[in-house]
Amino acid sequence: MSPLQLGLIAVFTPLVVATLLVVIRPLRHTGKPAAGLSILGAFASLGASVMLMVQSLGAHPVDVIHEVRWLPVAGETLATIGVQLDGISIPMMLVVSLVATCVQVFSFEYMNTETNEDFGRYFTWQSLFLFTMQGLVIAPNILQLFICWELVGLCSYLLIGFYWKKHSAGRAALKAFWITKFADIGLLVGLIAQYSVTETFGWDPATVTALSAAGMINVVAALYFFAVMGKSAQFPLHIWLPDAMEGPTPVSALLHAATMVAAGVFLIVRAFPIFIAAEQAMPVISVIGGVTAIAAACIAVVQTDIKKVLAYSTCSQLGYMVAALGAGSLMGGYFHLTTHAFFKALLFLASGSIIHAVHSNEMADMGGLFKKMKVTGTVYIIGSLALAGLPFFSGFYSKDLILETLFESAQHNPIFWVPFIACMVTAGLTAYYMGRVIILVFFGELGEKSSHAHEHGFAMTAPIVFLAIPALFAGLGGGQLAHLYGVHDFHFAVVHFTPVGIAASTLAFGGFAAAYAIHGLGMAGGLVNSLTPVGDFIRSAPIDRSWLFVYRSILSAGAQALGWFDRYVIDGAINAFGASLINTGERMRNMQTGRVNDYMHAVLMGILVMAAFSQVWLRLGA
Amino acid sequence: MLLQVLLTVAAILFCIGIYGVISRRNAVGVLLSLELMANAVNLNLISFAMFNENGAVGQAFTLFAIALTVAEVVVGLALVVLLYRTRHNALLELASDLKR
Repeated sequence: MSPLQLGLIAVFTPLVVATLLVVIRPLRHTGKPAAGLSILGAFASLGASVMLMVQSLGAHPVDVIHEVRWLPVAGETLATIGVQLDGISIPMMLVVSLVATCVQVFSFEYMNTETNEDFGRYFTWQSLFLFTMQGLVIAPNILQLFICWELVGLCSYLLIGFYWKKHSAGRAALKAFWITKFADIGLLVGLIAQYSVTETFGWDPATVTALSAAGMINVVAALYFFAVMGKSAQFPLHIWLPDAMEGPTPVSALLHAATMVAAGVFLIVRAFPIFIAAEQAMPVISVIGGVTAIAAACIAVVQTDIKKVLAYSTCSQLGYMVAALGAGSLMGGYFHLTTHAFFKALLFLASGSIIHAVHSNEMADMGGLFKKMKVTGTVYIIGSLALAGLPFFSGFYSKDLILETLFESAQHNPIFWVPFIACMVTAGLTAYYMGRVIILVFFGELGEKSSHAHEHGFAMTAPIVFLAIPALFAGLGGGQLAHLYGVHDFHFAVVHFTPVGIAASTLAFGGFAAAYAIHGLGMAGGLVNSLTPVGDFIRSAPIDRSWLFVYRSILSAGAQALGWFDRYVIDGAINAFGASLINTGERMRNMQTGRVNDYMHAVLMGILVMAAFSQVWLRLGA
Repeated sequence: MLLQVLLTVAAILFCIGIYGVISRRNAVGVLLSLELMANAVNLNLISFAMFNENGAVGQAFTLFAIALTVAEVVVGLALVVLLYRTRHNALLELASDLKR
């Protein structure tokens, strides 16, 4: 099959499934068959993506752009939609469909306590998400990307609010929706600005040149990046992502760890020609990424909810990617996106497995689970080591590349020291908080609720074991990926130690050692106790409260003031006018006595006045 | 000279009619006064016709006007009879239903 056909299969199979499930209500309400259909769709998408990947690794790399006219205006075309299959979109398609397939298979068992209706609804949204995400990845221009960008946001909203009967889930869904929508204003304004200057929605060199010539390149890049900050949970717009953990855990794995939140990073990767030309915006982007990395990692250290740790960790890792892209390294950001998708999806699914066994999210309820759940424990530890970037795990290669890129950039522009140092420290913090989770959950004494825990069935263990393979080895594909992305000056070596890499690995080992010393052996109790107020402060969500303050003091107060103006000034003027009319009418009606004689008087009076007037008129006029 | 006399009589008749219309309480009286006013106008018309070369036209008009007045009185009287039947009197100041 031609690449174009494969691409269309990968995108539209999930759409067909989602449409069937949405339209045919009885099918959706069957539950398990609906889920089976959805999983089949995901496998079809995965198969097509794998074949595309195989083709593009072959002798003739796939590079297809097929666009159809859309929105024709007066002979010319306002916009096109279509398919762009190249070294950027194909790896992402593979990541998306692979993780989605694993997550859907996992969900088949994980969600089995739901009613048939809810089960069907869940898989309907899952299929819809897969379609919209694939549509985003293959988009050949910003406009189509923007449409799918909004649609994945919708799927995120629907899936976070899956347990909509729970008040907190509904609120979390709304919070995620509004914050990302707020950020999406940047994308919308940015693409309008781009179109008004260049009359195209593309990211080809001609467009970039036109934007630069108009002096708009930094503005447009900054506007796009604002949307990225919302979608990819960059500081300080990250506050929706931890709350998004209200959704089912497989949803967190797919949307809020591996793919949807990475859409922001993917936007930078996809529109990289625009970003790389924005010389003033790029260092700022990198610094925001670095700040996100370290701030989210600090928050992750004090979380007690196993999913919240991973949520903040996702923010932190997205910060790494953004920092690398801001430093101009497409390879660094995209490579880390790929590896992170695998090990973070693995960690979330494994957490889901634990939560399903323990019926609690709190790490205090867990403990000593390794003996009960050997498979889950093993893959969880593999995922953690990959996340912490220990040598020879996948995260090591991608993280090392980011750190080296930042180090190199810092030689030319001192501002890059900020993201570099932040990311270095984060490497240690990452190892520390993952070590803490491993010790609290898998080792130590059996928790109260973990005594009945046991390993789950095939549908839940197979995906996490399968995901452990890329979590271990995806780093080895760096060379091929660089080739695909079109980065030709990148030399990949499996055994590859630089001073920066060694320092980062040392910090990671140090982080694990510190976690073991503090949480395993109970050392440094005094230090931990003295830091308790700091932890309490961080747990009290100061950034969320700052936003709340901004919301209440500015937005809400402004809305109240405007509401008062509308109610009392505008409405008041209209009401006063109406009241005066009624009042006048009330007074005037007294003239109407209903007595014929009075009317006769009036008629006579009128005739006399008219007669007098006409006489005067005649005399004066003549 | 004759014309002035005729016109004066007509004016007096008209004024008496107006006075009757605005001062009578009974609908029948009002109707009679209206007749006086109409006849004053007819008198005017026939007087002018006498002193005109085409006097026949004025006389014809007057005949039409009298016929119209009769028709009007028929309608008016019908109203008065209806008023009397429903209220057992024909006092105009009590017939103020249109106010409500």
